[in-house]
Amino acid sequence: MASNLDAVLKRLANEALLIRRNVWRAFHAAGSGHIGGSSSAADLLAALYFHYLNLRPEEPDWQERDRFVLSKGHANGALAAVLAQAGFFPDSHLDEFYGYQTLMGMHPDIKLAGVEMCTGGLGHGLSVGVGMALGARLKKRQSRTVVMVGDGELQEGSNWEAAMAAAHLKLSSLTAIVDYNKVQQSGHVRDVLGLEPLVDKWQAFGWSVRELDGHDMAEIVAALDALPYLADMPSVMIAHTVKGKGVSFAENTHLWHQNMIDDEVYQKAIDELGEPL
Amino acid sequence: MIAMPDSAVNQAADQTRLAFGLALTEMAERDDSVVAISADTLDLFGLRGLVQKHPNRVIDAGIAEQNAMGIASGLATTGMRPFLCGYAPFITARSVEQLRNDVAYAHQRVVIGAAASGISYGVSGGTHHALEDLALMRALPNITAIVPADSYQAWKAVFATQAIDGPVYIRLGGRVPEPPVSDPDAEFHVGRADCLRQGDDVTIIACGCLVADAIAAADLLSRRGVAARVLNMHTIKPLDRDAVLAAAAETKGLVTAEEHRITGGLGGAVAELLARENPTAMRMVGMPDEFATVGPTGKVREGYGLSSANIVTSCLELLA
Repeated sequence: MASNLDAVLKRLANEALLIRRNVWRAFHAAGSGHIGGSSSAADLLAALYFHYLNLRPEEPDWQERDRFVLSKGHANGALAAVLAQAGFFPDSHLDEFYGYQTLMGMHPDIKLAGVEMCTGGLGHGLSVGVGMALGARLKKRQSRTVVMVGDGELQEGSNWEAAMAAAHLKLSSLTAIVDYNKVQQSGHVRDVLGLEPLVDKWQAFGWSVRELDGHDMAEIVAALDALPYLADMPSVMIAHTVKGKGVSFAENTHLWHQNMIDDEVYQKAIDELGEPL
Repeated sequence: MIAMPDSAVNQAADQTRLAFGLALTEMAERDDSVVAISADTLDLFGLRGLVQKHPNRVIDAGIAEQNAMGIASGLATTGMRPFLCGYAPFITARSVEQLRNDVAYAHQRVVIGAAASGISYGVSGGTHHALEDLALMRALPNITAIVPADSYQAWKAVFATQAIDGPVYIRLGGRVPEPPVSDPDAEFHVGRADCLRQGDDVTIIACGCLVADAIAAADLLSRRGVAARVLNMHTIKPLDRDAVLAAAAETKGLVTAEEHRITGGLGGAVAELLARENPTAMRMVGMPDEFATVGPTGKVREGYGLSSANIVTSCLELLA
């Protein structure tokens, strides 16, 4: 069993590396992009799409599917990468970011296969996720709903309206993942508008909480497999992550929330990330 | 068309918000996917009956319109048919980004019932008046915007949403009486104005509670020998182009009448169309570019000239 799990974790880590390489590749082709928040979410997205979510890439509108909403829509580079890797659309789409009349904008487009909601206006995804989880319950489907929110995004009050509603409605099929990379557009979250004590906040709103290292694939898989954490409650995974993870000069700085990427910078980044299996 | 039963007429005779709630309750009986979302508005929309019959099909999102709008979008993505029941001033302006992104841009089949529109809550003051809601709806692509003139039309509008593949905004009254003005047996066609009076001298295009004033104005004008055409423009978007252009071609001018600011509402919609297609003399009866005063609705309406008398004056100006 142990060796089987090891193989799973190795495969997932490789998909996460591919996501990061694809993010840099896509934004290099486009000239710029949200590297920081795409890279911090890569391990979580790899585990979601290649281990947890019940999806049919060849039938993206399959009604019984699980739903994933990237509320922090500016990390669309990572979402597009993982969707391409999972086979929702051709890999070549990743070279078309920001192109005229494409579905490859800076933020997710619901018309693109695999994208469940056009997000990017922050503080929207969790409410939509509450509606999706409610719809699954009313339709008597087994679908689970996962919403990834950014940490800076939690400054939007609408998240807390949604958090209150999800607990009130006992939506145990709903999971929020906080990509807690500690950095937002103009600086550290703690300096802009601090969130702590974040665990206490979610608990006070009626959610069951688990903290984890969002780059430790074994922890991520264990946290996903343990969902929901308590009966009749929504669950939240507070994933401690590093903004820009994987490329030293892009890590932990708001300068790489979004940045220009020339050939030299791209080559350095790809060299640091290393080759996939 | 499902006719409004006598029981509903009795309960909601002069309250479009209640007619909306009763139609929603009836539709929920017929369609398992119909779900109501309340923003602490169960009584405003008369939804207690639905709560009793199908408690799991009424979601109370509480006083949190942004979240309510997002929930409606999420429900719609799963194939549910959400009807979001809110106060017009709050369910529009408060949650307009959710409406824009999650509903209109995402092209979800969400129906928004917006009660207490215009200055129906006159005494509540400017925070509770909704005089820009149609402007917001008109500026957003994909949305159909309907202003029923009475309870019969509110009932019919709810059922008409079944054939609309996209979001729908239905503007409803508050607690002031909205006397019936439409034929209970008439068909209701979204996007097609009802011609309530024929006439070739001047045209009055009205919506909502101003339709009653438009009819009264036409009657007053007929005593002066002026034949006014009256159009009940119950759909603001898409606007009935043919009816407006015919009126411009066949009569000497148009007067619009609405309980909304004249910027961005029915008057604006008609003017934009005519400016492009057939510039025509117009007068606009509606709220000016200011916040309305506090006061009983009737007095406030009168104070801003939302009256048959002012419609008459405006028509005569065009004919002078």
